[in-house]
Amino acid sequence: MSFWNEFFSKLYIGVLTTLQLLAVAIPSSIILGIFIGVLRVYGGKIEKTLANLYVHIFRGFPLLVTLMIMFFGLADIGIRLTPYWAAALAIIVCSSAYQSEYVRMSILSIDEGQSLAARSLGMKRSVEILYIILPQAFRIAFPGIGNEIIYMILYSSLAYIVGVNEIFSVAISVNSIWFKPTEVFLTTALIYLAMTTMASYGLKKLERKLWIPGFETDVKR
Amino acid sequence: MNLMTFSKYLPYIFEGSLWSLGLVLGGLGIGFAIGVTFSLVQVYGNPLLRRLISFYVWFFRGTPLIVQLFLFHWSIFPALGINSTALTTSITVLGLRSGAYQSQIFRGAIGSIEENQMLAARALGMSNWDAISSIILPQALRIAIPQISNEYSVILKDSAICFILGIMELMTRAKYAAIATGIALIPYLIAGLIYLVLTYIGTMFFNLIYLKKRIPDSVEG
Amino acid sequence: MVKDLYKRYGDKAVLRGVSFEVEKGKVKVIMGPSGTGKTTLLKCIDMLVKPDSGKIWLEDLELTDPRIDVSEARRKIGFVFQEFNLFHHLTAIKNVMIGLTKVKKLPRGEARAIAERSLLKVHIDRELWDKYPAQLSGGQKQRVAIARALAMEPMIMLYDEPTSALDPQLTREVLEVIKELAEDGMTSLIVTHEVGFASEVADEIMIMIDGRIVERGDPRSIIYDPRREETRKFFNKIMKIGDELR
Ligand SMILES: Nc1ncnc2c1ncn2[C@@H]1O[C@H](COP(=O)(O)OP(=O)(O)OP(=O)(O)O)[C@@H](O)[C@H]1O
Ligand SMILES: [Mg+2]
Repeated sequence: MSFWNEFFSKLYIGVLTTLQLLAVAIPSSIILGIFIGVLRVYGGKIEKTLANLYVHIFRGFPLLVTLMIMFFGLADIGIRLTPYWAAALAIIVCSSAYQSEYVRMSILSIDEGQSLAARSLGMKRSVEILYIILPQAFRIAFPGIGNEIIYMILYSSLAYIVGVNEIFSVAISVNSIWFKPTEVFLTTALIYLAMTTMASYGLKKLERKLWIPGFETDVKR
Repeated sequence: MNLMTFSKYLPYIFEGSLWSLGLVLGGLGIGFAIGVTFSLVQVYGNPLLRRLISFYVWFFRGTPLIVQLFLFHWSIFPALGINSTALTTSITVLGLRSGAYQSQIFRGAIGSIEENQMLAARALGMSNWDAISSIILPQALRIAIPQISNEYSVILKDSAICFILGIMELMTRAKYAAIATGIALIPYLIAGLIYLVLTYIGTMFFNLIYLKKRIPDSVEG
Repeated sequence: MVKDLYKRYGDKAVLRGVSFEVEKGKVKVIMGPSGTGKTTLLKCIDMLVKPDSGKIWLEDLELTDPRIDVSEARRKIGFVFQEFNLFHHLTAIKNVMIGLTKVKKLPRGEARAIAERSLLKVHIDRELWDKYPAQLSGGQKQRVAIARALAMEPMIMLYDEPTSALDPQLTREVLEVIKELAEDGMTSLIVTHEVGFASEVADEIMIMIDGRIVERGDPRSIIYDPRREETRKFFNKIMKIGDELR
């Protein structure tokens, strides 16, 4: 088989694996991030403390360290994760910590009147958060969450380190057989560029779709 | 292996923080030089240069650090006839990458003060360059301090990825300690905590600078 | 009915023993200088702020009873805010519907029908129903806010300076709506600085100064023949401001 043939057929699998990883990591981290963000604003003392601790740790640890802990560290105490799940969990845990910060700040930026009006209609806290606060907070946090999605695409390449057969690990293995670093790593870079560019294009479209007349100005007032 | 044998590795891991900080300071410094220059070109430069810089920023923000490290180490530097060590590659790539991010930070900061201040400076009869160097830049740099502080904590965590080239920084040492002792959880946890502490120390340091240099009532980033 | 209400923020006593009653179908107006606790009083009545002591009844339900479900009770009280507080992310009609679907748990179709009726009652026409708050004028926003409260079929409506964020033109359309509702028999408690409006709608005007109701009575005697010096001063002041505006 020629170099390019081999490279592309392996890359195809690598891209699929990366996408599989992201398909789990992106939605889970957003949901977890929102949940933790809500806990940090509305939780009781214990919930707040725990959520803050979570955020401090996983924002303070490099993703790589978290990844090593998930794969090698947890094995020490008898929790054996597959490479795929170790990578997915590490990305989810790390990214959700960052996202919760966007969510928290967005919630805090919403004016008090929204909550007063919700409560005056007889809404319970949970209803108020779900239908009044979060739809607004999500829109405010959207650019930040979008950035996090781009970062997840980029940092999914670290999954190579624990042996997930994603794009970058395909690059490494093909390069070790053929030793054509320029072709291999330039192509790899281009694939990531294509993915991040498409993602930011899609995110912009989505942001426009979620846009509500005068929303930002009204909220920031 | 027991904890006693492990404790022998503590100083060994701690020493890695010096290497990590070296990477960070090098990367942050190079990134600063690139960031300031490129942001000025992007605001004031000719269209072709602006295009080129946009391309540069797009490339470095759209590809994973780990890919950039390999691309430069195994392809670009050799092709240019540069004999780069793992350390010089790491610092350079961290710097080039940070330059892309920092140029956007400074561009935003300049944008937020440009219009009024430039008019005022012109009204005083200053030349373009005088206005930029003595009015615009000093203010932009101050406004950008919080974001540079953030950039520091990003690079610090990114520097862990340079372990892939075998730099004797925190991550590599944690890995060796894990291999030597057969315990993975503890060395990686310790490495993570060191990163966390270094993040806080750095953030405090930048906060101090910010408080000292902040212009009262200035627009904050 | 409110009895002996006290509320302090830190060491600032805002409400210092307030008692009164709004009988069914009646309209009571509260007037008084800025910062005397009018907003705080209304918020206490809707249990949006917890009073320190005193009791509040909605007919025979004691709202201050710690065992009752406050959100259950709140839906029976309509609150109209000075700054409208429409939900920014919902269209006019969705603003009105959300209480019906999420609190009263009505099916969408039914909620929509009620919302449409409420909106028409406050003269918000069909072409505005799908507009977002930012696309409405202040007067339209406030009328939608009234419709939102009204749709819940409250036993009483509380209005907190409903027009003080509006210019005179828009003020009129909102006051008109409040007046129509009152004439329809809506029990109302209104905080306002609009003397003319107050004298038209009120069955009784209460003057609140420094956390106490210092004087109360029918509109004519309170406005034109107040017994207390501070009431007189207060009216002099707001009439003068009114003149200047004109
Ligand atoms: N959440 C709060 N915390 C502390 N103090 C408050 C709070 N809300 C109101 N106050 C204070 O309580 C006092 C009464 O406020 P309130 O809003 O009830 O007055 P008001 O009569 O409605 O005034 P206005 O006519 O300006 O609306 C004010 O001095 C205000 O500063
Ligand atoms: Mg008030």
